[in-house]
Amino acid sequence: MKNKKITFLSILVLLLLMSGYFYNIPLFSSSEKNLQNELAELAVSSNDLINAYSINEEKSDRLYAGKIIEVTGFIKEISFLNNRNTIILNSNTETFGVICDVNPNQEEKIKLLKKHQKIRVKGICKGFLKDVILLNCSIDLIPNE
Amino acid sequence: MNKLFPLFFLLISFADFDVKQSQFIARQGQVSFFSYTSVENIEAKNNQVLSLLDIDKKEIAISMLMRAFVFKKDLMYEHFNESYIESDMYPKANFIGKIIDFDASNKETQTRIVRGKLTIHGITKEIEIKTAIENTKGNYSISGDFDISIKDFQIKVPPILSSNIAKTISIKFTFQYQPYEE
Repeated sequence: MKNKKITFLSILVLLLLMSGYFYNIPLFSSSEKNLQNELAELAVSSNDLINAYSINEEKSDRLYAGKIIEVTGFIKEISFLNNRNTIILNSNTETFGVICDVNPNQEEKIKLLKKHQKIRVKGICKGFLKDVILLNCSIDLIPNE
Repeated sequence: MNKLFPLFFLLISFADFDVKQSQFIARQGQVSFFSYTSVENIEAKNNQVLSLLDIDKKEIAISMLMRAFVFKKDLMYEHFNESYIESDMYPKANFIGKIIDFDASNKETQTRIVRGKLTIHGITKEIEIKTAIENTKGNYSISGDFDISIKDFQIKVPPILSSNIAKTISIKFTFQYQPYEE
């Protein structure tokens, strides 16, 4: 009888601890996550992504926004404005591009990059202004074919 | 005469480059907001704000994605986007305004009033913002700060959290412009 009570209590405590853990994690974790080891839901080229957005923004938002996506494209610009590491990817339309805000843990890789290099970035797609915006990006270097 | 024609064309095309740039763009403008209360301080930053500046028309346009604000904690981000701003319905905040008495050729920092319409959470309000405009080597940068009341934009805070979120939010912005080629 006593044994049963103990097991019941220990299960209860365990459950409480677990729920506490899951409810409190979002309270303390930062929104700047590391995505390097997470899987991307979709993979596209920068051209396709921008084409999709310039044709129908609403539809593309439903498809891409809020998701982790992988984008392949050529570097147009690398900037360190406002202490952010930012890569802008080219598209075949001159005016649009993909702005990738790079996670600080990718600092070593960003130093290796050059203009017009082909790379793959993984980040959370936030939507479209004049450019598609990706945050928390991690960089994948692909050798130029 | 036929030989002169290409030369003429060349001259014209060079003259074209000389046309005064009147449009400027900032793709990576910075906007941050602060909510200070005795219970909690909330701060968020958006580093990917788009802005266009037309120095001939003295007009400025700003657009930003609400989901691109970065918070210290995930829960703040969730509350902001899901309960307060409702980013699924209103993904963007916009501003269109006119810079009053703007002198584009002034090389010194000038303080000017920008009067225009601010749209947040689907609600448009007429506001006036004091800004500092700098002109460095033909490129402009604009910065300033202002306060908004959350009531004005019909942002509802549940009573339990009302002590955590300030009634007036202060907003800061900086834009660094580059010449814009279409």
